Amino acid sequence: MPKEGQAQVALSVRWMVLPAVILTLAMVVFPLGYAIYLSFGGGSASGLGVSLYARLFSDPVFWSSLKITLGLFVAALALQLVLGTALALLLNRYDVVRGLVRTAILSPFMIPPVVVGMIAIVVLDPGLGAANWVLQSIGLPPLLWLASPEWSLLVVALIDTWQWTPFVALIVLGGLQSLPGRVYEAAEIDGAIGLKRFWYVTLPLLGPTLLTVAVLRSVDLLRFFDIIYITTQGGPGNATTTLNIYAYKLGFEFMDVGYASSLMIALAIIVFGSVLFFTVLRKKVTW
Amino acid sequence: MRFLTVCSVIAIATTPAWSQDAFNWRKHEGQTINLLLNNLSWTPALRPKLHEFTEKTGIKIRVEAFSEEQYRARLSTLMQAKSSDVDVFMTLPSREAPLFQQSGWYADLGPLLKSATNPEYDYNDFSKALRESGVVDGKVTSIPINVEGPLFYWRRDVFEKCKVAKPDFLEDLPDAAAKIKACDSNIYPWAGRGLRGTVGYSLGAFIYNMGGDFKTPEGKATLCLPGTIKGLQLYGDLLRNFGPPGATNHTFTQVMDLLGQGRVAMTNESSNEFPVLMKRPERVQDIGVAVLPKSRETGISKPVVINWSLSVSGFSAKQEAAWYFLQWATAKDTQAFLADAGIAPSRASVFASEKFSKWAAENRPRGEWVKALQEIAQTGSSAYQTPTLSRTPEAREILSNVVQQIVLGQADAKTAACAVTEQVQALQ
Repeated sequence: MPKEGQAQVALSVRWMVLPAVILTLAMVVFPLGYAIYLSFGGGSASGLGVSLYARLFSDPVFWSSLKITLGLFVAALALQLVLGTALALLLNRYDVVRGLVRTAILSPFMIPPVVVGMIAIVVLDPGLGAANWVLQSIGLPPLLWLASPEWSLLVVALIDTWQWTPFVALIVLGGLQSLPGRVYEAAEIDGAIGLKRFWYVTLPLLGPTLLTVAVLRSVDLLRFFDIIYITTQGGPGNATTTLNIYAYKLGFEFMDVGYASSLMIALAIIVFGSVLFFTVLRKKVTW
Repeated sequence: MRFLTVCSVIAIATTPAWSQDAFNWRKHEGQTINLLLNNLSWTPALRPKLHEFTEKTGIKIRVEAFSEEQYRARLSTLMQAKSSDVDVFMTLPSREAPLFQQSGWYADLGPLLKSATNPEYDYNDFSKALRESGVVDGKVTSIPINVEGPLFYWRRDVFEKCKVAKPDFLEDLPDAAAKIKACDSNIYPWAGRGLRGTVGYSLGAFIYNMGGDFKTPEGKATLCLPGTIKGLQLYGDLLRNFGPPGATNHTFTQVMDLLGQGRVAMTNESSNEFPVLMKRPERVQDIGVAVLPKSRETGISKPVVINWSLSVSGFSAKQEAAWYFLQWATAKDTQAFLADAGIAPSRASVFASEKFSKWAAENRPRGEWVKALQEIAQTGSSAYQTPTLSRTPEAREILSNVVQQIVLGQADAKTAACAVTEQVQALQ
């Protein structure tokens, strides 16, 4: 192609991507930039500065929210990866678990989180819920579930695990079905069967898939909001107040938008950090 | 001549009602205004009548109604963006008036009251206290749409069965609750709010009746006063010892559900929920309604009374058309219509009307409800529910945390209340 023609194509390409660039600027760059501006005190009487970030360091609720966010992240992610992998192995192995049964098992993650929250409120109500009825009918004492300051965070993690384990299973199942058969044949010849085969062959081969799932779930878990908002609103006390819940309260209830923005920027940095960590790790375990 | 007279009579008789007013209701005909409403019992009660506003004024309305939390989130999002998408919104002056006024969310209704108001509107028909609830920095920011407060609901049949007298004093509540607990294990003797941010409303009278306050005589905000501590302890202990499990996640929805289902013997809950409760025929028979008992020790009865109001957005481009809606929605005949649905009217004339008295006399609980509302309207104040600060929502949060600690047995009232003094004072 002559040079003139190439230049024309390049120019056309630039014009063609322009709408996407404008959309990205309007929908991503501007809101993020505005949040950063607010987080440095933009629009406030005190003017621009780092005082809102300094406030983060001396705010005990920020530190407890950070601890809760990370605790929830670690507990729920670990549970979902372990149970999701187990469920995927089950679905991969037994022909019985096909069709409708498979759909039913995988359906929780298709339910809107608000509905999941409402179901949890009804089932886990300490006075009226089915969960305590089951416990009492087998001779166990009733629990406070979401109203317990000690257990509410774990209960929230379990609700999220119930909803998202099938999603993890679905992706891991895809990973399992794409594993090369010849590796298994070689392993069998070498005597690797049962748990040994899973531990030394399947799991390492699943590494990239599991890390992809970890990236997807970690973004959601660090930004965890909906189920907590529906079920506990961050209580009892601050037992389930994650960074997102705390920022929501600051921004929408206390109307402290600047401080809420600085908190959200801090959370965004944590989310980016976690994605970066898993992405780097994924590159290292590629086969 | 006779023909002309007949024509005149026919013309007058068939002229729409609006044109008979001196006030031009159709000045903003063709405009559309947006309403953002909290789905309180007021909102569904008004819905069937909304078309009448459009017929009267020619102003079309678009309604967005959400449950309270979602409503607040939506309102905050739009108002913080200074959006003109909202023309009329509901507000709870005792909670947010200073903060909203400071943020420019309210339009000043003063000039509209003077220059764009139907002469028959009669603003002074709202009691002074209700009018003043919407006046911030000398500006009229809202018009009251109801009057409400927590009332003492008790199951007469359960008390009778357990041979317990209705408590005359606040200090008698634990004893009555203990007797009911011993008599009927299928019913929770007490229920109340424990959820974050919601507690002040039903707690306030416990604190003030016991001689407490949310500020020192010098005006410094605090929860660490003897009467306040006694009130907090009593409220927390009732929930802890006699309330349903999980009360720290309960607000009025759970409490009234339990009361409606017949699983609770006593509570101090919103008068607004009375119409919902009366939809259950068995509760019409057995529920008793009264003002929360006074304290034996202090003799004080200081109930919480509040009002929801309507405001015009400070960012609305159609403020006068929006004001027309406020006038119509808070007019005497609209309030009379709403009173039939159990919405306690904010207008004195409607409250005292023969029609409302007749409605109240139709069954015993209605009569008790109206009597209790009349009493709290006279003796109550919105100041009794939260420390009066410009950052009230944060104060509510702190108050709820103190109550949750008592309910969960993490601290006694004195320890929990005195530990937050600095936090509360920082909000002043």
